[in-house]
Formats: sequence, structure tokens, C-alpha cells
Amino acid sequence: MSEGDRLIWFSGRECVHCKRLRPLVDDFQEENNIDITELEVWHNSDNAKLMRSYGDTIKEACGGELGTPSFYNEKTGKAICGMVTKEQLKTWAEA
Amino acid sequence: MSNLTREYPIEDKRLWRCHVCNDLHYGKMPPMICPTCAARNGFVLIDRSEALKIIGERGGAISSKSDVLDAWRRFGGPGKDYMLVDDEEMYTGLAEGVLENLKNHGFRYCPCRLTSGDPVEDLKLICPCQFEAQRVWSEKGECWCGLFVKRDKK
Repeated sequence: MSEGDRLIWFSGRECVHCKRLRPLVDDFQEENNIDITELEVWHNSDNAKLMRSYGDTIKEACGGELGTPSFYNEKTGKAICGMVTKEQLKTWAEA
Repeated sequence: MSNLTREYPIEDKRLWRCHVCNDLHYGKMPPMICPTCAARNGFVLIDRSEALKIIGERGGAISSKSDVLDAWRRFGGPGKDYMLVDDEEMYTGLAEGVLENLKNHGFRYCPCRLTSGDPVEDLKLICPCQFEAQRVWSEKGECWCGLFVKRDKK
């Protein structure tokens, strides 16, 4: 999937919710043959910059701040945030 | 508007010194009663250089996992509406996260959110943050990270 057309998961290396959500996201990708690009934001300044560039949408989804785990669909501009379910991921991933 | 959801502009804050015991306070107004020596109306306005001279090299450091956990346990101690979550993986993982952020970004920022780049705005992300104003606190009874939870949470 090319840049600008990705399903992105913004995560933090030390974010415990991100760690706990990873098996669900992995299952979701395998079950639906969907690729989600995970971008770590605390140890990679380019990823942080990208997350901030989608800031307004992500903040709204997270209740006011740039939270992790959060998911941004570059095609639709939709974001979801927090301990999401597979159903929420499916709705979010649909173009 | 409750105290928890109000904004407290940093520009309004000044430095104060208890003229009896040299306690320091940084805020719009000082405490009426000094928490250390109990002097009443004992605080006087001072400037930054005086405050820094008083502190000197003292004040300790919170730079290890046990330091962080001790601070969090004191913060969420008895009598508070919130407490540290009873989940060792959660609190030790987050302690490692805030220390990583201290090392790499200068503050013990929350590892579950990202800074905006505005240093004043980002003060809101230093852990423990003002979590009682968060939507997730009213909806789920926990802070964004799940580190602090409502004491009466079922």
C-alpha cells in the first residue's frame, strides 16, 4: 500500500494498551487480508510528525488529545482511538 | 465550571516563599497555611533567581522505576478518589515509558499520548496528568493509560 493510501496504526513502544491490542490487530489483518502499517511515535520523529499532521481528526477520535493506540485511514480520513474491537477496525478500514 | 475542567494559565503563576521555613510555592496565589510549618499567611512573593538559590542542588530526583512508582503510590494514596491500578504489568510498563520520555524528551510525559510540540500545552501530558477532566475518566473510571482508576470502580 503506497504512502497517502495507508491504514495506519499509531502506537507507542511503552504504551501498555498498544501492547495488549497487538494480538487483536494481528488477527484482524490475517483474518481480513488487510495490511495495517504500525508507526511508533515516541521513538521516531517522522512518525510523530505524521501523527501530528492528522492531529485534528485523531484528537477528536481520542477525546481531545493525540492518544495511542489510534488508527488513521489515509483514504477516508477517518480515525478511531483506544482499545478498539475487530468490528470497529472493520468499519474503519472500509473505503 | 468545576476546578477540574478549568484552565489555569501558566502566565498567571508566580513564585512565593514562606518567610518562616522557606517552603516554595508556584501558583497564582500561595497557600494560606504553610504545609510544612503551619505559618498562617506566611508566603511572600519572590523572583525566579531567589527560588533557584533556595533549591540549589537539593530537591532529589525521580529517575528510577522505584522512584516513579513511589510517587504514583503517594499520589493515589488513601483518602483520594483515585488509586494506582492493581495491574503490575500496566504500572511497571508505564513507569518504563515515562522514564524513556524523561530521557529522550525531558519530561515524564504520558507514553500513551503524543506531545503537540507546544511546550506549555505539553505540560498537560506530564504524568500524572489532569485525568479527571478526561472523557475516558467519566466513561470508564480510569485515566487514558489505565494507570489511575477510580477507587470505587467495580
